[in-house]
Amino acid sequence: MARSRSLGGPKTRLGRLVGAVDWVVVSLAAVIIGLAIINLNSASASAWSGKIQTQIRWISLGAIVATFVAALDYRFLYRVAYAAYAFGVGLLALVPFIGILRNDARRWLGIGDYQFQPSELMKVLLLLALARYLHDHGGERRRRSRLRQLAVPALLVGVPVSLIIIQPDLSTSIICILLTVSLLAVGELSVKEMLGIAVTGLVLMILGWGFFMLDYQTKRIDVWLNPEAYADNEGYQTIQAMIAVGDGGFFGRGVGQGTQNALHFLPYRDTDFPFAVFAEEWGYLGTAMVLIMFLCLVMWCLNLASQARDRFSAHLCVGIAALFLWHILINIGMVLQLLPVTGVTLPFFSLGGSNALTMMIGLGVLLSVSRARKRKD
Amino acid sequence: MSSLQRSEDLRAIVPRLQGMGVVVVVFFIALLGRLCQLQILEGEHYTRRAERNFVDEVIVEAPRGRIFASGGELLATNRPAYTLYVTPIPRVTVESDDPKAPAVGSRVPLEDSQIEALAELIDFVDDDDRDAFLAKIAERRADERNGKYAFAVRSNLSWEEYARIETRRDSLGEWIEIRESARRYYPKRELGAFLTGYVGEITPEGLARSAGAYRPGDRVGKTGIERQWENYLRGRLGKRSRVVDVHGRSVAEPPPDALAALPPDENPIPGQDIHLTIDLELQQVAADAFAGKPAGAVVALEPETGRILAMVSVPAIDPNRWQQPIPRADYEAWAESPFKPFIDRTVQEHFFPGSTYKIVSALAALDDPTFDPEREIVCDRYVKYGGRKFKCTHKHGPVDLHQAIVQSCNVYFYTLAMENTLALDRQEIFARRTGLGERTGLGLNSETKGRIPTEAFEAREGTYQKGVQLNSAIGQGNVTATVLQIAQLYGAVANGGQVMTPYLVDRIETHDRKLVFASTPQVRRDLEAIVPADRQRIHQALIGVVNDPLGTAYSERLPNITVAGKTGTAQVGAEERRGKKKDKDDELDNPDWDTTKDHAWFAAYAPAENPRIAVAAFVEHGGVGADAAAPIAMKVIEHYLSRTSDPSSAPRRPSGVAPPLPGSKHPGDAPLGPSGPRLGQLGPRGEAR
Repeated sequence: MARSRSLGGPKTRLGRLVGAVDWVVVSLAAVIIGLAIINLNSASASAWSGKIQTQIRWISLGAIVATFVAALDYRFLYRVAYAAYAFGVGLLALVPFIGILRNDARRWLGIGDYQFQPSELMKVLLLLALARYLHDHGGERRRRSRLRQLAVPALLVGVPVSLIIIQPDLSTSIICILLTVSLLAVGELSVKEMLGIAVTGLVLMILGWGFFMLDYQTKRIDVWLNPEAYADNEGYQTIQAMIAVGDGGFFGRGVGQGTQNALHFLPYRDTDFPFAVFAEEWGYLGTAMVLIMFLCLVMWCLNLASQARDRFSAHLCVGIAALFLWHILINIGMVLQLLPVTGVTLPFFSLGGSNALTMMIGLGVLLSVSRARKRKD
Repeated sequence: MSSLQRSEDLRAIVPRLQGMGVVVVVFFIALLGRLCQLQILEGEHYTRRAERNFVDEVIVEAPRGRIFASGGELLATNRPAYTLYVTPIPRVTVESDDPKAPAVGSRVPLEDSQIEALAELIDFVDDDDRDAFLAKIAERRADERNGKYAFAVRSNLSWEEYARIETRRDSLGEWIEIRESARRYYPKRELGAFLTGYVGEITPEGLARSAGAYRPGDRVGKTGIERQWENYLRGRLGKRSRVVDVHGRSVAEPPPDALAALPPDENPIPGQDIHLTIDLELQQVAADAFAGKPAGAVVALEPETGRILAMVSVPAIDPNRWQQPIPRADYEAWAESPFKPFIDRTVQEHFFPGSTYKIVSALAALDDPTFDPEREIVCDRYVKYGGRKFKCTHKHGPVDLHQAIVQSCNVYFYTLAMENTLALDRQEIFARRTGLGERTGLGLNSETKGRIPTEAFEAREGTYQKGVQLNSAIGQGNVTATVLQIAQLYGAVANGGQVMTPYLVDRIETHDRKLVFASTPQVRRDLEAIVPADRQRIHQALIGVVNDPLGTAYSERLPNITVAGKTGTAQVGAEERRGKKKDKDDELDNPDWDTTKDHAWFAAYAPAENPRIAVAAFVEHGGVGADAAAPIAMKVIEHYLSRTSDPSSAPRRPSGVAPPLPGSKHPGDAPLGPSGPRLGQLGPRGEAR
């Protein structure tokens, strides 16, 4: 090891290429994706059915896009950040007009056989735009222009979120807002302010629960707090997911052997509750392993952020970390009945092409930034 | 374009990033902790709950015990059948893309249209049946607690119904299930209707009484042997478990862990087979003998033992009919029929015994020390008493006791009654001593006691006049008896004077032919035997009835068998006659049914020298006993004796040699029988005499 450092790095092209790749990110992602695909196959009756093939196609497509993004100099990303953001908002604006109506919601755009949710892509594009804005204007902490300082990020997030919320897609909107807050937390908000936001949010939520929320939303909270009372209705999914997780025990039932999954007692196995399938079949050993890998990925992102050459890349890394973190926390929290049921997916584990593609692009951005940090100026 | 330079303040964000790292780690520790709680600490609990999801424990009905006639002919057996189960509040198990559709896992009560769609596939016998079906499901659907579970809504589906429902099951939904079961089948139809009885769905009251032994929709014996021996016939339910998926379907290749979690199967224990004493051929002969006679009954039994050889009541309803819903029109026709097809005329209905009762009167008279049986009383076609004329059939001239029985002279017995030789209470003692006025102990079909009046009874009823005593002496007035009681009475005369408890169940065996219970002849030890000399006198008189040219049944005598018997022509009460005439005669065009006609009786035993069969035949509104009832009894006797001319081949268990009863300490006591002789009930009265 000492040799490569002291001798000024590898000399061959291949050596340089190998050195340019962040193998931590690649290997973590590879293992997670591998487990996720095995699990998805389990969740779709172990048939390597069309769903799995579609998912693999999307992930492969994502890998190609990620490689392409990783090959780009991240400074190029900086340059096209606003344009890409505008492109994403444009796609979102198209959705209400030419979007595909499915389940009473218009979220998809179609190109041939491929159907795509612009709102998923928007998550990454929003990160790019915010990172650029915060690079250009952030960090000064001038007290007098504080309001204006936060107004632009608010606008940047507000436009796509309002477009997403009319689709309607509440969970993606919430993710976008959480991503924004996470980015602002890097350099813009003081601890006091963050606590203030958290407390205000909590108070609003409680007030909203009591007075403003619609019936079905109130009920959703009730179901979350006491699923057994709704065992014959909305609580069924939550209960079956908990049973699946608990049934896994320490060692798990074995791939394809979980009764909750194989006998279909667990609903929405491949979209909302793939982690419950995984927990039943792999047990605590498996779930702990996957959680620790996800944790490593997020921590590695933060590590990259701390080594970043500039505010743009630092914010990008934090943004990607947040992207993974919030998806993981909300989805697994829901499976473990720590949070109410929402439609937030678990990266790679949930069936969904747009989401997989978005996550792969996120990893590509990460690789690009990681490559740049080693370069000497 | 802006430059990307590493600015100084980048170093300022590192602590913030470290803080974020700490927060992230805390979040993940929370998730790991929760996972630890669910998977390791509470894992067992959730494993149990997962098992509750996929283990489907099906109760396996035990095949009901069969009922055989004495020759091994099947009277009641089981056939495979299908039972329709419906879950009125089923769970949604199919994921739907429609957001307005109920979520997976929610329970949604059935729509009326769904139930209607199912009803379309069922062959209802009439609108009432259909309404009852719909109401049954609707009622269950309104019950939030029990509506979640499948319940048997219709049993014994026909093959067509089964096929129709099964082919449309996928489109109808998962709330429908057809399970295999068994239906009761009675191959002999009407012939054994009142013997076997029939099974039907348990009533809500019966269900409440059973304290959990039965489930709703279970079929239980309603009448006859099916009811009396229900506990033997029923068997014990078994359990079978299987792995099902969320749709409730059996899984072909379940995960091995799931198979291992299944509780062990319990095989059902089939019910026990009951072998009756009934001689099916004789039963058939007896039933055939009723051709052209709409209503009546015959009981034939072995005088030595009390074994019932044949027991027929006409009309009867094919018990198989009760296995299907019955159209209201049919049911109403039965309920309103003057022939009362629901009533078992052998035990459930009691009638004036008429002249067949005269042997009781004779026994009572013989008990009076002042009575001289040789004394002749002149019959002048009637006697006057208390301003009323008590008539006889015709003018018999001088008759003694023997001739009074042979020619069935009423005046003879009226005179004895007027002289108080046949005081009401003396009659009653002897009636009771010969088993009248009391249930025989057969225990079948809610047997009635009949009625033997005492002076106290008549006083209570306000009907006591001396005239009642006269009427009682010839089996009218307030004296009533069942056909079985008359058969028992003549059986007692036949066997030398001892009343035997009649019995119908010969033995009970388990499905693998182990003996569980065997009947032994039961002597009514509580009833004093008839004094042999008196018995002999009556025996001779009964022979005379059939064999003396003056005897009332002389025309019916058999060529080669000496039969001893007594005719009876029971007058229908004047009230009854008037009422019936008004109500029924207008509607009825049956020339064989004239409600003004008397009830015809004939009770007999044969062969007189060594009686092997005692028969009581009764034809409701049949007219004169000798004409209507005697031929029936004669056919039964002739058939029985011609077939079993060799006494050793008669289906008889020698008395006193009872096979050991498992689980019974006193083989002779027959503790397993639901009703035995009522010992001591009449003791004090007998002594008081």
